[in-house]
Amino acid sequence: MAETERYSRQILCWGEEKQRVLKRATVLVAGVGGLGATVGQLLARAGLGRLVLVDDGVVAWSDLNRQTLYAEKDVGKKKVLVARERLGAINAATELVTLDARIDEGFTVPVSTDAVADCLDNFASRFALHRGTPAGVPFVHGGIQGEHGQVLTLIPGESQSIDLLFAGCRQPEGPISVSPDGPIIIAGLMANELFHVLWGEPRLRDRFLVVDLATLSLQFLDV
Amino acid sequence: MIRVQFFGLLRLLLRKESVELPSEPGDTVGRVLERAEKTLTGPIIHKLAAGGVLNAGTIILVNRRNVLHLQGLETPVNDGDTVALFPPGAGG
Repeated sequence: MAETERYSRQILCWGEEKQRVLKRATVLVAGVGGLGATVGQLLARAGLGRLVLVDDGVVAWSDLNRQTLYAEKDVGKKKVLVARERLGAINAATELVTLDARIDEGFTVPVSTDAVADCLDNFASRFALHRGTPAGVPFVHGGIQGEHGQVLTLIPGESQSIDLLFAGCRQPEGPISVSPDGPIIIAGLMANELFHVLWGEPRLRDRFLVVDLATLSLQFLDV
Repeated sequence: MIRVQFFGLLRLLLRKESVELPSEPGDTVGRVLERAEKTLTGPIIHKLAAGGVLNAGTIILVNRRNVLHLQGLETPVNDGDTVALFPPGAGG
């Protein structure tokens, strides 16, 4: 199978040079849950060169409504191991690196990472991930709760830091409401932004895209 | 004028994208929100603050800066400023 055939439909969208950029790129996906499972899958399908997946969780029954890489037989297994198997089956050309680790203070994004996808499910880990991201490496944040979500790109060292921006936000108590479709929509928008980040054309730099699924509307909020 | 913008769930609850208010001498975030509340279908202050202390869950930005790094509800607001209220999605 020729690469040109495999990626022929998307090359019609963005051309061969941008496809070559994706093939050379490394993205770290932090959290392989509702957002990360779909972000990772889209990046692998797109032909990304290298994916680093970080998560310390195991698949639970309550994940199956939205976490697109997992099935019933995976319940109880480590997410990164299942994700590695599924993503490897989707695209063997994408190099997969898995880290069974919780992201907290002291975590450092590996060198040679071209972009970071914040697919985490809590503010404390997001803040630690941002602190562990080298200056200049684009940080694409996503969040979802109920029928609302957001995507934002920050450039560490240049943009506001995410802990300054989200100062005062505490994690809600108990499980966060989340539909099957919401995380996939936000993850699709994150993947779209990640492609543009890798091409040097971010559209959400220092700009929230606020997604309202209750009214099917999008808003920008500059920060 | 001072522009107060609502995002996410707040926009849905209040059924309004933004309100514009004439500035007044000595305006602060807290005073502007109290005046904004009078133009809205529902109260907002109790969702954002209690006893002068901001609740977690909604960030308040004045000209792109979180007021928690300024002076909270006492942050001065001037003519031409934008106050944005945004409850971000916490999950992933």
